Amino acid sequence: MLKILIPTLMLFPTTWLATPKWLWTTTTAQALIIATASLTLLNWSSETGWTSTNPYLGTDPLSTPLLVLTCWLLPLMILASQNHISPEPVSRQRTYITLLVSLQLFLIMAFGATEIILFYIMFETTLIPTLIIITRWGNQTERLNAGTYFLFYTLAGSLPLLVALLILQKEMGSLSMLIIQYMQPAPLCTWADKIWWAACLIAFLVKMPLYGVHLWLPKAHVEAPVAGSMVLAAVLLKLGGYGMMRMIIMLEPASKNLAYPFIILALWGIIMTGSICLRQTDLKSLIAYSSVSHMGLVVAGILIQTPWGFTGAIILMIAHGLASSALFCLANTNYERLHSRTLLLARGMQAILPLMAAWWFIANLANLALPPLPNLMGELIIITSMFNWSSWTIILTGTGTLITASYSLYMYLMTQRGPVTTLITAIEPSHTREHLLMALHLIPIIMLTLKPELMWGWCF
Amino acid sequence: MTSWLVRILPAWSRVRLGSVPGARFVSQTPSPGATGSPAVSGLSPAGHNDAHGHVEVSLYEKNRDFHGFHKDPQVDVWNMKVAFFFGISVAIVIGGTFVHYLPDHGASIGPFVLTCMKSSGMRQWARREAERLIKEREAKGIAILDGNYYDPSKIILPSAGEEK
Repeated sequence: MLKILIPTLMLFPTTWLATPKWLWTTTTAQALIIATASLTLLNWSSETGWTSTNPYLGTDPLSTPLLVLTCWLLPLMILASQNHISPEPVSRQRTYITLLVSLQLFLIMAFGATEIILFYIMFETTLIPTLIIITRWGNQTERLNAGTYFLFYTLAGSLPLLVALLILQKEMGSLSMLIIQYMQPAPLCTWADKIWWAACLIAFLVKMPLYGVHLWLPKAHVEAPVAGSMVLAAVLLKLGGYGMMRMIIMLEPASKNLAYPFIILALWGIIMTGSICLRQTDLKSLIAYSSVSHMGLVVAGILIQTPWGFTGAIILMIAHGLASSALFCLANTNYERLHSRTLLLARGMQAILPLMAAWWFIANLANLALPPLPNLMGELIIITSMFNWSSWTIILTGTGTLITASYSLYMYLMTQRGPVTTLITAIEPSHTREHLLMALHLIPIIMLTLKPELMWGWCF
Repeated sequence: MTSWLVRILPAWSRVRLGSVPGARFVSQTPSPGATGSPAVSGLSPAGHNDAHGHVEVSLYEKNRDFHGFHKDPQVDVWNMKVAFFFGISVAIVIGGTFVHYLPDHGASIGPFVLTCMKSSGMRQWARREAERLIKEREAKGIAILDGNYYDPSKIILPSAGEEK
């Protein structure tokens, strides 16, 4: 783990000491080397599940795919931001990269934490760089409102979590994830126990987000600059899923009854947010609501607590992370040229930028869960598991799949097909950088189709 | 010949169309700036300004081979080379080969240890071994799998009358 953390820490001196001319080159190179080094974490050599070299940080088959995704995303964020940040003064560019790197650092420590309190502290710490990125570098005045929603929704959910964790520490004596998995969960009978159960999960449900508490997400995703949107969609949402999967083992057997309202909300959210996507005029807002929809399926998969539910959840989280981040990058390529996110203003782009249309096509196919991509595999595994849990869910999940396909196709057809908007008179050609960015997003998805055992977790 | 800019300011959107000389022009008739332009014109003088008040000029003007990284052509090319090398050649190709040749660890016993004991690694070996054994036993004509794990003739049971 240190071979990932120390180079990430060293990105701070790189950012501040590199000459302005070579700043982006060196940070991109170093971030890609860190991403390559993170692949060594996939070598799970331990029979006990956890591979840890020290008592504080360790990896197991659940956290490793998310760690690799986090490390992979940093160079992609740097590549995506390079153009829109370049007019700013160099010290501000360095500050921006510093924020991205610090976010990376906290995320690595969050996913690698073996102690739940460390995970909680890092979970909260990731809020700060994200808030600064959204409120300082967002483009519209709504960014302040977005930052407020983002910060306070997450905080309101996670302060009860802190109390719940302290109670758990007092009861169990230890909050190390290595030990907690073997402890007998206490039966939860009193009202206070039920509130404690809810307190354990609400923070992660807000983060995922669950349908009823999802309002922060469209605002934050839309107002954030491209790197902020990428990291939010790809990794920060998955912190919620990861946290839920860790906590929910201890919450048995009460979860069987108490989880019902949340499962229903999650399933209903798939359909509602999917339908909202079909009525969006703002491209980034469409992609943001589609994230809520996919994460609703993940929440449902986790809350039913079956092995296949967990497996499907992890696969869908990784696949969605890459696909959603790819879509945000594509939306940004439009935004940098037209300075608007309105769908109607950028129609018929296939005629103008045909190569980018190819990327739009593949990214939208990934989003609508085309086989054999892991997006479909994750969704199918969750849907099957939910069907086994209750046959009626197939109505909701099936309709959800249908709506997902509809809005993904809608997004593709609105931006790429149809007549070119007469308002557009001159569009800059696609940069090599943008093509590389899309390739680095979509090639891993395709490669993961061939080796899904990297993502299965410990349940399959 | 630079084309004049048309700035459109509808109330609900802030689209700023750039005069981007050297960019890919979409053939529209009439040419922009002419009186027959479909866009609302004459709202402001020509000259599309960015946030800092400078006129936005496409970087393709100065550097035909702009890759999107940096305005200095030499840095641009090097950044492109570095990004592609470390991104594709190292991370995807070498990293992918590394991941492909990882040993057959598979998933290990996780938090569900109390509820369902899952098998640990060597899944791929197990499947290959099973296929090999099936092929071998079918060739020999013996049953693929016997109901008894141990050979019943080798189990020595105490007789009923030997209780003490």
